[in-house]
Amino acid sequence: MLSSPRIPERNVTDPGRRRLLGGAIGTFAIGLGGFSQTALAQTVAATGTPVPASKPLPQYTAWKEADALIVHSSNTLETRRSAYGSGVITPADRLFVRNNVPPPDPSIVADPDAWTVAIEGVKNPRSLSVAELKGMGLETTAAVLQCSGNGRGFFPSKPSGTPWTVGAAGCVIWSGVPVRSLAQALGGPVEGVVYMTGTGGEAIPQGVDPKSVLVERSVPIKAMEDALLAWEMNGEPVPLAHGGPLRLVVPGYSGVNNIKYIKRLAFTPKQSDARIMESRYRMTPPGEKGNPNQASIWEMGVKSWITSPGTDGEQMKAGRHMIEGVAFGGTNAVKSVEVSVDGGRTWQEARLVGPDLGRFAWRQFALPVDLRPGSYVLASRATDVNGKVQDELRIDNSAGYNNTSWRDHALPVMVA
Amino acid sequence: DLTKGRQMFQQGTTPACAVCHTLKDAGTSGEIGPNLDELKPDADRVAKAIREGLGVMPAFTDLSDEEVRLLAEYVAAATK
Repeated sequence: MLSSPRIPERNVTDPGRRRLLGGAIGTFAIGLGGFSQTALAQTVAATGTPVPASKPLPQYTAWKEADALIVHSSNTLETRRSAYGSGVITPADRLFVRNNVPPPDPSIVADPDAWTVAIEGVKNPRSLSVAELKGMGLETTAAVLQCSGNGRGFFPSKPSGTPWTVGAAGCVIWSGVPVRSLAQALGGPVEGVVYMTGTGGEAIPQGVDPKSVLVERSVPIKAMEDALLAWEMNGEPVPLAHGGPLRLVVPGYSGVNNIKYIKRLAFTPKQSDARIMESRYRMTPPGEKGNPNQASIWEMGVKSWITSPGTDGEQMKAGRHMIEGVAFGGTNAVKSVEVSVDGGRTWQEARLVGPDLGRFAWRQFALPVDLRPGSYVLASRATDVNGKVQDELRIDNSAGYNNTSWRDHALPVMVA
Repeated sequence: DLTKGRQMFQQGTTPACAVCHTLKDAGTSGEIGPNLDELKPDADRVAKAIREGLGVMPAFTDLSDEEVRLLAEYVAAATK
């Protein structure tokens, strides 16, 4: 299982190319035919070098900061590695977007209070408007939101799907009604239920099997203790791009489980038979088909990555540098983070900086280092409060999910 | 072959490619899947997606190898 360290260094020794790519940041429109560059984007993705700006922001995300994002497609926008800053919380206009199917019409966020969600699998099932939910409880939770495929771009097998490197993740603050309070107010879950199942409000076109397109996910019912039906993100109504007017937030669980535009929340004895639950988002061995016996993509693993310096083609000069990054532990808090400048041969403990916003949020870390001219491989490795250390190597799977490998996320840099 | 490929794209499969994909050459404007004019996939990528499915897209296991080839080559040619 152990393979030799895979430290991609070839592009680092090609400063002309790095300059070229770095210079492309912020030039916004290289041309509308941006996807002819997909091959290039996929090549550089695996090395941590920046992907050139490809195409304009899709209309429902027009309010976002274009220079901070990589537009892969109209349903997939990635935060640039260098765009996270040091403020713990990811601003909404820099936050990634991943929609399985296009978002519903923007009219649904015109009057968020009017949106309704059906609550089923409780003793007194009923439909509730957001206005009614607002009177039933309020909790605010900081949590990492991360697409299941974040880090897919580092898989040498090049799985199908968006080749995200680190940017399909952010740390945001959700406000809404706790699902446990809601369930209690409706008499509690009925006997025999073991899952919490959320169904999204996306429109399904005629002529398509609804189960193939429906965004419906089940998570173990214990997740209801921390889950919210959220109407605010970072203190503002949840934008359409992030699932407004109402989103199921399952802290510590991978992005796909956080159902956007939620229309139905049900406590169920079985998992959903929608394809997105039954055969997609599973830890499917390479070459095999997805099926319900394989592990579903639920809780996130311990993970960290460096966000500065030397990201997205930033040139580094000899001298003192503050190595910064983010670290999280899924449903467990991070205890410590180590940083290496030699690709993991030696480690030093970094300092956790900024506020601790709870076990579902990420921590910022920082370590000052003095670097002489030469080539380095910057790496970070997080440990959670249970002593679980971030994996060195990814677990291979056909769709490229759950990449927590610190080696994949290491950053080769050249110091001049 | 391209004419046959276009017909297959418009109505030769269940569900039809056209339901979910925008492709100018075929006059379709589906929005569930990627806009093929922007994606510009090569024939191998199209064939793989048809046979194995990809994301929301199901695997079209009822199609013959010849039908997959017609479709894949048509989409690649129409978006070049």
